[in-house]
Amino acid sequence: MKICLSECQVMRKIIFFSFLFGFLGWCAISLKNISAQQQYTEIEVIDGGNVIGNVKYVGDLAAVGLDLYRDWELSDTSKTPSEKLIFSKINNGLKNATVSIKDITKGKKKRIPTIHPIIDQQNNIYIPHVIAILTGTTIDILHGDEGMHNIHTRSIKNQPFNLGTTYKQRISKKFDYPEIIKLSCDLHKYACAWIVVLDNPYFDVTDRNGYFEICDIPPGTYRFQVWHEELGNLEKEVTVHPKETTSIECVYPQN
Amino acid sequence: MKPKVLLDKIGLWSATTVASAALMLSVMPMTASAINVPTEVTEVGKDTYKKYCSPCHGEEGKGDGPLARSLLPKPRDFSRGAYKFRTTPSGSLPTDEDIYRTIFYGVPNSTMIPWDILTEEQRLSVIPVLKSFSEAFEVRKPDASVNVGLEIRPTERTIAEGKKIYEEKLECWKCHGVEGRGDGPSASEQEDDFGFPIKPFDFTTGKFKGGNSPTDVYLRFTTGLNGTPMPSFAKELSDEQRWYLTHYVLSLIKPEETQNK
Ligand code: HEC
Ligand code: HEC
Repeated sequence: MKICLSECQVMRKIIFFSFLFGFLGWCAISLKNISAQQQYTEIEVIDGGNVIGNVKYVGDLAAVGLDLYRDWELSDTSKTPSEKLIFSKINNGLKNATVSIKDITKGKKKRIPTIHPIIDQQNNIYIPHVIAILTGTTIDILHGDEGMHNIHTRSIKNQPFNLGTTYKQRISKKFDYPEIIKLSCDLHKYACAWIVVLDNPYFDVTDRNGYFEICDIPPGTYRFQVWHEELGNLEKEVTVHPKETTSIECVYPQN
Repeated sequence: MKPKVLLDKIGLWSATTVASAALMLSVMPMTASAINVPTEVTEVGKDTYKKYCSPCHGEEGKGDGPLARSLLPKPRDFSRGAYKFRTTPSGSLPTDEDIYRTIFYGVPNSTMIPWDILTEEQRLSVIPVLKSFSEAFEVRKPDASVNVGLEIRPTERTIAEGKKIYEEKLECWKCHGVEGRGDGPSASEQEDDFGFPIKPFDFTTGKFKGGNSPTDVYLRFTTGLNGTPMPSFAKELSDEQRWYLTHYVLSLIKPEETQNK
């Protein structure tokens, strides 16, 4: 009698807990559905338009601007102040700003590169300094210096890492969640790189004159976002017309 | 809600129910003998955390309790899911056992005491509370613990091999100093992921935060200390080399000096 009773109790507990878990699981799933509003559907874009543009900076920090192309010789990295804010003296074009479309829900196919993009650490700096990738992309981080480095990221959703590496080491890491991730070395503090992980294929990083180009966008009105490590975010509404190229300008105001 | 979506939901729901029932059945008898960490935040857990942990670690686990201001090292901010003392690879979340270990033994040389005044149940119950403070535990799972090979006996040769790694191959001295006093050329500029200054460990004291056994030391530089500049060297060392380096690091302890302190 006693045994039967305790067995019943155990069974009841099990049933109760499994219901509880089932319910919690269901809650979690439906919550995810809600938060994943910006779900992205791949379609064939036939009458897509393009957006080209220029990101500019006109602030007072302009004086600190560094012209890497001034000399014939590659600049001595130990004397390079920093790569944080680089813009062209000619048109105030800002380098290394990431431009993306924030609220796009359908569009061209997400192409994850099968050849891994590379961040190369040479003379203690990272090349490129800013890289934008699609979720699911694997990056190879190369070590081209004689001494030791550590490759240290501080992400939360994407698993961070901090790995000591020596000459010729190659580290492959996949990034699964949209996040802006700083990568640095604790032994060579003045240099860092940024990995911008995005969940749709409409993005670009500005070149040394601040130019970018985003192609094959289904016609419509979108919010474009510009992110720069020092200057933060800018937003701009842009209307894309079928088979047309729209030209825009994004200016970080003087603050 | 569209019928199809609803059907999908019901399907998922019942699948989870069955799966969790199966899970309960298979897991229950096993964990009962090992440590039995509750999977959900319980009242006991909440109360214990509030009473004993929140004065330092903060109500919401951000490491900003009323006592935190005057402390260095700072109490851990749990919101990033970055735990220093683990058996899992660099960047991974800790296992429940890892967290339990820290609560049980405390962190030497800091204000984090061994929590032996609490009951076993209380110590276990706070683990889900700590995890609930970080979204990392929602999207990721801890990786499997790293393999620790069979321990090698220390000899003069293994120590000499370890010294070579420490001084030449991996340049530990840049942070920890040639004699291991935590005073290498890069030592003064180190800060942790939360922006607070941090000192590379002084090996001569011998009071390792993560434990003094050879296996503890092996695990520290193999897994790294998440949230700090201390990297993982898993990529660079074979199992044997890890024991060599462990022996060398342990040989840097200076018992005479620590007795005087
Ligand atoms: C007097 C302040 C104080 C109290 C109270 C306190 N802690 Fe801590 N705790 C610390 C400090 C300081 C550290 C960081 C030590 C370090 O990093 O060297 C820490 C670190 C930790 C860690 C981090 C382990 C890791 O791997 O990174 C855990 C887990 C932890 N505490 C749990 C608890 C729990 C659970 C309680 C309550 C039972 C508690 N602490 C109470 C000060 C405190
Ligand atoms: C970039 C600087 C840096 C380098 C390089 C470095 N460490 Fe560390 N290490 C640290 C810091 C900082 C801590 C202290 C973290 C703390 O107190 O929480 C630490 C802690 C440790 C600990 C943990 C001690 C404890 O309290 O349990 C061990 C073991 C260790 N280091 C070994 C090594 C070895 C071996 C190497 C070389 C292979 C090395 N470290 C290279 C910065 C470094």
